[in-house]
Amino acid sequence: MIRRTFLAALPACLLARSAQSAETAALKLRDLYNKDLSFSDVALASQGNRISIAGFMAPPLKANSVFFVLTKMPMAVCPFCEPGMPWPDDILAVYAKRVVDVIPFNVPITVTGVLELGDAVDPELGFYSKVRLVDATYSRA
Amino acid sequence: MKNVLLSGAALLSMTSVLAAQDLPQATSPWFTAAQATIAERLAVQPNTNRAKNVILFTADGNGVGTNYAIRLFSGQLAGGLGDDYVQPFETFPNVALVKTYSSNGQTPDSAPTAAAMNTGIKTKNGMINVLDTVNVGDCAAGATAGVKTFAEIVSDMGKSVGVISTARITHATPAAVYARSVNRDWEDNTGLPEGCTQKDIADQLIDQMKAGVIDIALGGGRQHFLPVGVTDVEGKEGKRTDSRNLVDEATAAGGSVVFGADDFAALTMGNNAPVLGLFEASHMQYEHDRAGEPSLAEMTEATIKALSGNENGFYLSIEAGRVDHANHAGNLHRVLVDGKAFADAIAKAMELTNAEDTLIIVTADHEHAISFNGYCGRGSKITGLCMLENEQGVEHTGEPALAADGKPYTVAGYLNGAGSVLVEQADKTFAGSRPDLTEEQAIDPDYLQQALIPMSSETHSGEDVAVFARGPFAHLFGGVIEQNVIFHVMNHAVSAQ
Repeated sequence: MIRRTFLAALPACLLARSAQSAETAALKLRDLYNKDLSFSDVALASQGNRISIAGFMAPPLKANSVFFVLTKMPMAVCPFCEPGMPWPDDILAVYAKRVVDVIPFNVPITVTGVLELGDAVDPELGFYSKVRLVDATYSRA
Repeated sequence: MKNVLLSGAALLSMTSVLAAQDLPQATSPWFTAAQATIAERLAVQPNTNRAKNVILFTADGNGVGTNYAIRLFSGQLAGGLGDDYVQPFETFPNVALVKTYSSNGQTPDSAPTAAAMNTGIKTKNGMINVLDTVNVGDCAAGATAGVKTFAEIVSDMGKSVGVISTARITHATPAAVYARSVNRDWEDNTGLPEGCTQKDIADQLIDQMKAGVIDIALGGGRQHFLPVGVTDVEGKEGKRTDSRNLVDEATAAGGSVVFGADDFAALTMGNNAPVLGLFEASHMQYEHDRAGEPSLAEMTEATIKALSGNENGFYLSIEAGRVDHANHAGNLHRVLVDGKAFADAIAKAMELTNAEDTLIIVTADHEHAISFNGYCGRGSKITGLCMLENEQGVEHTGEPALAADGKPYTVAGYLNGAGSVLVEQADKTFAGSRPDLTEEQAIDPDYLQQALIPMSSETHSGEDVAVFARGPFAHLFGGVIEQNVIFHVMNHAVSAQ
């Protein structure tokens, strides 16, 4: 390889590596939403794809379930803010492959699963969601 | 004799200026700026006019520490180092420290603190405008122990009354303007015990609007005005189980009800019809996330303009309610953005009113468990890492200061909360170490500052808050005062002969 070819190839190589790491880097929950809470271009482009999203596991609604809610920040429960605390608008419902092994609400996690968009109500819990990761796995970030 | 004394004081002042000019530091900008401050202070005269209007600004949870953080944030947002920034209300001539404890709480919640400011007495945590001889939640005793509010007093004088909050309009701070409740959580009928004669807080607001006490009420909390089975403009269901639709009742009583930024902007206010703005099912959005809702400054401007139509004047209570909520979450970024929005609303009120006839009071109801690290160089971002001082210059070196564990740390943190470095383990014990942290991670809007004690929600603290004031009888604020003195200053200012 002559020196000029090698130098020309180097940036392309770096670009490819950079693109690869961008693919594997977890999205933030806020990347899925626009400010008006409509779905972002990233969310629309990722629909049906297997993607990773960073966030926090809210305390599960039901024991021994495959379902949990991913929040962008730890789900602090303020006694003065909200009797009967409602969920924030920008959350994500997760349907895991296996029964959920609970991770404390303030430990950062990464969830990987297939992105589903659109309104849905969980038949068992009655939980309404706009966006979900299904067939998901998760781990501490 | 008085003239002689005044001349003596003037002479002393001139002597001190002459002496100061001879000092080697006399040309330092620090020195000359401080001299200018002294000149301003010497020129301050007590304003003993009767107050036509009173505006009480409360940023919930914005104690001296939180206010310090907001000052730095606003200053850095403006391109400066932050610490030398002056918030609009920090130019007010009169300031005091305020003791916020309640009748039974070393650490208060927002119910008794708002009651203190609106009625002149302290009461128990969890109760709004009810004597502290009553037990929390005791409907029967509460029925005969309610106290009269400042809104009712000035309404009797012919003044108009407005109440604004970015929290639910039925939340403790705004509720204390118009309601009496032995339990702050009874925002709709669902929490009322069977047989309780007290009305819920949303119901009381509608009553006070019908009675002509409350003219304008803007905030969140639609869910408490709508019955189960009825959804609001955003598809969220009401909570009331008594089948009453208070939005319909307000409309039937001649009120205008609006639900978003657009219908609010289109609304003609000031035509003597009451206005109810309910911009969210629960709390209004954080300023950082705000879309489709009016800002606190916009609500303030529209309300002052509308209430100014009353020649007898007005009382307006304005709360930045979500400074508190973001502190509870341990998320300093949203605390500061809402704090800046609070300051913007105050600037708007200053612009629209005259200090000759309008008493503006800026305070907080309580502080939080927020705390600050050292020794940070100037310009360290208030949400970011504590950077080393620069001995060769002014701004920090760009190198993070390191703790004994070899890791950087943020300028601000919390003593407790969801950001705790102690995390629950599989055996239910708590353990952990401080995560490594970059500047980029720390200044992320969703970052939670590190905390010590693990709690699901960061707590209030009993630390003092400040009160800043301008206008008639603002000079009654000084020293260290009990929180309920704020009512007495307002009451004196509107009734002075």
